[in-house]
Amino acid sequence: MVRRLVIVVLLIAGVTLVVMAGTHNLRHRQVVMQKAQQSDVQLTPASAGTDPSEDPAAKLLLGNAAPSFTLVDLNGKKVSLADYKGHAVVLNFWATYCGPCKLEMPWFQDLQNKYKDKGLVVLGLDQDDGMAVKEVAAASKRVGVTYPILMPDDKISKSYQLGDYIPETFYVDKTGKIVEQTIGAHSKDELEADVQKAIASGGM
Amino acid sequence: MKTALIGLCLAMSCAPLVAQEIQLGPASAPHKGHVELLSDAVEVKAGEPQVVVLRFRVDDGFHINSHTPKDELLIPTALQLNAASGIKVVGEQYPNGSTFRLPLDSGETLDVYQGEFRVSVRLVVPKGSSTLTGLLKYQACDNAVCYPPKTLPVTVAVTGD
Repeated sequence: MVRRLVIVVLLIAGVTLVVMAGTHNLRHRQVVMQKAQQSDVQLTPASAGTDPSEDPAAKLLLGNAAPSFTLVDLNGKKVSLADYKGHAVVLNFWATYCGPCKLEMPWFQDLQNKYKDKGLVVLGLDQDDGMAVKEVAAASKRVGVTYPILMPDDKISKSYQLGDYIPETFYVDKTGKIVEQTIGAHSKDELEADVQKAIASGGM
Repeated sequence: MKTALIGLCLAMSCAPLVAQEIQLGPASAPHKGHVELLSDAVEVKAGEPQVVVLRFRVDDGFHINSHTPKDELLIPTALQLNAASGIKVVGEQYPNGSTFRLPLDSGETLDVYQGEFRVSVRLVVPKGSSTLTGLLKYQACDNAVCYPPKTLPVTVAVTGD
């Protein structure tokens, strides 16, 4: 009888220790979490905390008229946004070194082909710094796009208030208004939804 | 009694597991260029070729291309050291990259550096104190966006014994 009592007491003591340790640990974690939140420490991965696409302030031009521009394409021909008045236009800022850009670009090509009859125009605006036209042309060919690729000037990134990152895409409706602005690569379905939004907006 | 002891031992052995703290760790503040140099000083034998390991760290959540990215359009990470202060740079050896796939991409993989990576540099240094200087050229991305190519200044105090 005494032996059984000793066993029960020991087991209770053991379980109590476990529970106490767990409770202490939980409290300690809560205190650490609280302190971390107070000092605004990021507990999430840095990518989530610094992801520009999560920054609402980054979409400064949404709802505004797309800034006008005249740039030169890979053949040296001048191309203005005004040339496409009455069309839904996708302005995709990209660069040859950008993996996520090259992921999206063939999807934009597919969407250009699919919605061509509905007046969709896709323009790729290169953002390489000082890269020769020949190299940009070779890169866009490798990526597999045939829509117009425009070379940058020193004003376009300022007028579109671009951040220090790419890709960045503006969806412009038939009236010239920016109806969607996205940062970073998105799925093909998301791109298509934004294209449809640009086509549907502005009436005709 | 034996059973009681076994029970107690089991209970006690579980306690440290439960009590083990979850290390939240110091959150590393992202750097402006997303890469930092960890090495600041080295001591090597003077007058003959020696291998010095330079440690770099890519911010959490970011990656940079390895020295040998799979795609020729991608910008490789490269260290450019100055042959100044009497230091002779014999050569560099870069680590292999790790395989990385963008979340949206079902096909292509990238060859990248993430977290800490080390470049081994073969140097001949003079006796006494000198400074190894140079630039690390790289181009960083995260899961969704890429940042323009950047250069990180490299400055390491070298003591030749």
